[in-house]
Amino acid sequence: MASITNIRNGIVTNLNTISGLRASAEIPDNPSPPIAIVNLESVDYDNAFNNGLTVYNFQVTLIVGRAAERTMQRKLDAYSDVTGAQSVKVAVESDKTLSGEVYDLRVERSSSIGSITIQDQTYLAAEFTVTVYA
Amino acid sequence: MAKFVVTTNAVTLNGTDISGNCARAELVINAAEVDTTDFGSAGWTEVIGGLKSGTVSLDFHSDFGSGAVSELFQDLVGTIGTVTLIAGNGTAASATTPQYTAEVLINSFTPVAGAVGDLSTFSVSFPTSGAVSYATA
Repeated sequence: MASITNIRNGIVTNLNTISGLRASAEIPDNPSPPIAIVNLESVDYDNAFNNGLTVYNFQVTLIVGRAAERTMQRKLDAYSDVTGAQSVKVAVESDKTLSGEVYDLRVERSSSIGSITIQDQTYLAAEFTVTVYA
Repeated sequence: MAKFVVTTNAVTLNGTDISGNCARAELVINAAEVDTTDFGSAGWTEVIGGLKSGTVSLDFHSDFGSGAVSELFQDLVGTIGTVTLIAGNGTAASATTPQYTAEVLINSFTPVAGAVGDLSTFSVSFPTSGAVSYATA
């Protein structure tokens, strides 16, 4: 039976394959971009008899950097790409079983692409929806 | 026994527990309607029960791992298999979690199904062959 902590840490491990990106399993007090933060959004139980399948929905919040910096949009484009060394989708799906912890996972979408404000600073950010089957 | 939400019905095929890949199980037992309407039926139809039959319907999550459910069905099409279903979220037969056992004709299998982004699943529906037994112990 998969553990949520192990799943979260597995996603972090996959994200850490992106050069220059920090990934965190916990929400840091003072995030230092570029950083990807893995949050559990919901758990759908009992998709098969006898706890045979549980679906975990994770949200990866990617904070790229200060919105005012001109290069940030290009960085966000690279993180959101379907392919490439900076692609969040490629990195998270690089080990789809998280070392055997889960059956499968998929990065379904990137959304909320835009600016967020943290401690009076405006950052460029995006959210990635990761569905995990375990 | 109280009302209950289905979460853990036990399903086996030829002795292999496939519950963890099964998302829905249904056993329907029917009796044929045999018409006995005659001139004495006063304008109404009359029927009696005829031959009994059954259908087992199961929804699965595909899994091609060694010994897993998709591999299990692969060579069984056209054969008679034994299905057991334990109702009431039970893992063993009891008065409140009865076990039904049926011989079924495995007459179809859909090894490949699903659209992009979907969980790969397949459904089967098998006619029973012979009596469906019912056990509470």
